[in-house]
Amino acid sequence: MSVRNLRILFPTRDGSDTVKAVDDVSFDVFPGETLGIIGESGSGKTTLGRALVSLIKPSEGQVLHQGRDPATLGRAEFRRHRRDYQIVFQDPNAALNPRMTILDSVIEPAEVLKEGNDASRRKDGLAVLSRVGLPREFADRYPHQLSGGQKQRVNIARVLMLRPKVIVCDEVVAALDVSIRGDVLNLFADLQREFGLTYVFITHDISVVSHISDRIAVTYLGKLMELGSAEDVIERPLHPYTQALLSAEPLPLPTSMRTARRIVLEGEIPSPISPPSGCRFRTRCPVAQPRCTDEVPAWRELKPGHWVACHFSTAEGPPSNNAISQHDSKQGG
Amino acid sequence: MVTAAAPLQSTPAQTNADRAGVLPTNALLDVRALSLAFQTSEGELPIIREVSFSVAPGERVGIVGESGCGKTVTGLSLLRLLPEQTTRLSGQILFEGRDLATLSARQMRAVRGRDMAMIFQEPMSALDPVFTVGEQIGEAYRAHFPVDRKEARQRAIAALAEVGIPAPERRCDEYPHQLSGGMRQRVMIAMALICQPKLLIADEPTTALDVTVQSQITDLLRTLSERTGTALLFITHDLGVVAETCTRMITMYAGEVVEDAPVDDVLMKPRHPYTSGLLRSLPSLSARRSVLPSIPGRVPSPNAMPPGCRFAPRCSYAAEGCQVRQTLVALGPQHSVQCCRAAEVSLPGAVN
Repeated sequence: MSVRNLRILFPTRDGSDTVKAVDDVSFDVFPGETLGIIGESGSGKTTLGRALVSLIKPSEGQVLHQGRDPATLGRAEFRRHRRDYQIVFQDPNAALNPRMTILDSVIEPAEVLKEGNDASRRKDGLAVLSRVGLPREFADRYPHQLSGGQKQRVNIARVLMLRPKVIVCDEVVAALDVSIRGDVLNLFADLQREFGLTYVFITHDISVVSHISDRIAVTYLGKLMELGSAEDVIERPLHPYTQALLSAEPLPLPTSMRTARRIVLEGEIPSPISPPSGCRFRTRCPVAQPRCTDEVPAWRELKPGHWVACHFSTAEGPPSNNAISQHDSKQGG
Repeated sequence: MVTAAAPLQSTPAQTNADRAGVLPTNALLDVRALSLAFQTSEGELPIIREVSFSVAPGERVGIVGESGCGKTVTGLSLLRLLPEQTTRLSGQILFEGRDLATLSARQMRAVRGRDMAMIFQEPMSALDPVFTVGEQIGEAYRAHFPVDRKEARQRAIAALAEVGIPAPERRCDEYPHQLSGGMRQRVMIAMALICQPKLLIADEPTTALDVTVQSQITDLLRTLSERTGTALLFITHDLGVVAETCTRMITMYAGEVVEDAPVDDVLMKPRHPYTSGLLRSLPSLSARRSVLPSIPGRVPSPNAMPPGCRFAPRCSYAAEGCQVRQTLVALGPQHSVQCCRAAEVSLPGAVN
């Protein structure tokens, strides 16, 4: 998948303004990888995920699936095409029809596509259910008889029924207890190995994203702040926002093992209706400079495969207060 | 921080005798063998069973466990916020030596919000949409102190400033919908602390918030607690938040306290397999892309509790002795655990 200068705007209720949910974002998703997208609520990550699977039309720019723009396909062709690009949502309850049995829910996507006959669909449905770790007797139960983790497995089974190439996972473990989160994440990893799936994993949970991703994209107010390999972004972040986000994550470590002091960000994410000029993050950035107000930072590749949108980041790391004053005095001189 | 001696749980008579000797009389809150059941059309549904723990003045205690372990119900029962008609409560809730479980509704109202206050997960549903936040905070003060509206407003403004809300004079006259989630939670904290209670119960106060805002709120709760000496009972499923905010951690499972220990001890060396399982299932502690450990199965429902140790069906350390009911035993002056194998097994913690 390739995202090219994607922009998604929603009109506000009175029509006087627009919400810039995704604003000029470009990146690629490589076959077989897991791309993690992290960001706070309001950063546009869910909108971005939906646009990736053509649930939302881009206002500007393109989402290319293997080089093809699904927006240009005819209706019938589009229907065939989109089965390869599936999405699993956050709330496992809301995604299942309470009046359908588990098996009926699982085979529904194949029915919609008129694939096979009743008997073959049933057989396939039972096979995927067992693949996601649900015993045979669950097939005839109803959603209310299942736990959250089991329901999320059903949602995964529904998507697998179509043998997709890409699955966008939007906060798929956020509603689950920590004790079963691991199980569901393990299942995702197993399925990826088995079917060669490509994942886009959208979450606000840094520990989840850093565990399962090959690469990580950090979003803030509709823009990408940083993109790189999971190791680079988590261990050696180059953007001040990523650095602050990582330090805000509460760690279950005893006092004696706490090292880095947390960078506390002031305030909260501004409104996407009227985002700050220049760098979106400047209003909360601990090292913001006048230049950040005037100029939108360029999307720069500071290390191979490691992209950052900050004027002052270098390949060595994010700007510190010292580095910037030195930089400025050099510029002044 | 001096912690009260770990409660021993056996027969009530023995419990009280033991505690009378060991327990420093300075415990602010001392919950003894608290059990709670809901009346339903199918009979009585036991929710929590003989929960005992204590909180010292100014102490910050975390209660952790999966959903359905009885954490929230425990918090609500301390303030007697559960419907009286359908709830059967037994045991003692000693708050400064007074048993809250026996107070009349009127006496209880004088305690609620004054000596003990609570904040909840979803601040929007806890705030009234048709009153300004200033009026709501002021009301909490006027419920306990005979002041006029004007003074209540001044107090509300001071309380808003205290919790770090910029321009409190202006914010005071705004309605809840005009505030962001983090601001609303600050308003809830301002309201809870305006009467300077001795104990604040916080039920998942940061779960609905973003991680950067979450760290602001947990920092605020910790500094306010340190400065004002308000004790904190922090109910959460997030062990990271407990590690950063609290000094002691109580693990609940299936309506029982299974472990009670200082945070640093329990993170390094948990003594109950359930606590260990919770810690190990955190992705941040496993190598990237490795298989994550998890706890098989789920919390049993209240009407299908296993006999003996309630965790045994999910426990990989379960053995012979686990078929009988377990009691909370002290392993040291500050560490107690409800597991008969605690002494023989060595469990992995957050760091190994």
